Parts: sequence; structure tokens; C-alpha cells
Amino acid sequence: MTADILAFVRVLADAGVEYVVVGGVAANIHGALRTTVDLDIAYSRSSANITRLAKALAPYEPYLRGAPPGLPFRWDEATIQRGLNFTLTMTLGDLDLLGEVTGGGRYEDLIGRAEPIEIEGRRCWVVTLPTLIVLKRAAGRSKDHEAIAELEALLEERDRR
Amino acid sequence: MDRQRTTDDIVLEPDPVIEAYKKDVDRTLLRENLKLTPQQRLEKLVAFMRALEQLRGAASKRR
Repeated sequence: MTADILAFVRVLADAGVEYVVVGGVAANIHGALRTTVDLDIAYSRSSANITRLAKALAPYEPYLRGAPPGLPFRWDEATIQRGLNFTLTMTLGDLDLLGEVTGGGRYEDLIGRAEPIEIEGRRCWVVTLPTLIVLKRAAGRSKDHEAIAELEALLEERDRR
Repeated sequence: MDRQRTTDDIVLEPDPVIEAYKKDVDRTLLRENLKLTPQQRLEKLVAFMRALEQLRGAASKRR
């Protein structure tokens, strides 16, 4: 299900959730044209942030994406504490919650490699374009070759301006 | 194929595979997109994905 990205930004920012946008939406924010259906974020694993995250997303009925219906999955602080990375589907769309990102580490590692961008009148932290390229390269997926080429071309175009 | 030093001190070593793909990137579209604000880029993405979903829905109804 396509993520209502703008709604996600409003919900997370208004709840004071500490997160950094990574993945395809970050690429789009930087100017890439490739489309994406989900929002990927690296979130802080601090207890306070997990509490905020659990509360903020609960109204949107998070459930494990691709899992059969009826699993005893409960969206709460304990579940987030026990897990790390979650691929979720919810009424706002699909969201990948990443406690750790391949090649990028945790939220605390990525926030220093992120820049504040205003979306929906809120400050939203997004990994920098060079960091995004490093993350995509680290993922090592052949399907990302075109995406990485686009991001690197974008970086060249941006530096030329 | 020069090494690219970025503004946040990341050195990107050129990758021959990526360089090959880069030749096919339509830079005119990227330049146009760079003229938009991040908010406008996201709005464009959301609108496009919604339109795509509607088209898919319409196509599946016809089947």
C-alpha cells in the first residue's frame, strides 16, 4: 500500500519522534525521480522515543507486512523493544522502521549525516545525498544500480549549480 | 571517472558498473526536479503514486 508520506511526517513530527528518513523517500526529497511505495526511517532506540513511536503509530493499526492475518502481533513498546527492524503496513500505508541500517548503523550514527528539511511545516531529518549513496552501495543489491546511478548524477548536477 | 569528494567529507570511489548506468540517466529531468522544493517533490511523488494506484484499480476491475 502506498504510504501517505506527508501524513507520516505530520504524525511523527507532532509526536516528537526522533527519526531520520532514509531510502527511496530520502532520494525523492533530494530530487531523484524514482518512485517508491513505502517510507523508510531509522528511529532512535531510546526508551522515551520507543514510547513516543508506539503511541504515535498505534491509531494507524500497524501490522507486519506480508504476514498472514490473525497473528498475535501487538503494536506496543514491548514489541518494539524486543525487535529492531520492522516492515509494517498500516492505514497510512507501508512503513519500514529501522533500528539499524546496513552500512549506516543506528539513528545515533545517522543523525550526524542528516540534514533538516522542512516538510508540512515541520522539521524533518533526512540523510544527506552522499550518505544515501553510501547506504545504497552498502546494501549491495543489483536492483539498486540504476538508483545509485541516478543519485550520483543528481549529486553531480547539484554540485554544478 | 574521477573520485568524487562530497560536501560532507564522504569520498565516493567511482564504480565502473554505476558509471555505465549513469550514461542512461536523463539529467534534464533531474535538473527540472532540482528546481522544486523538497515539499513540492514529495507532493509530486504522492500524487503520482495515487494516480498509479487508481489506474491499477481500474485495470484490475476490467479483468
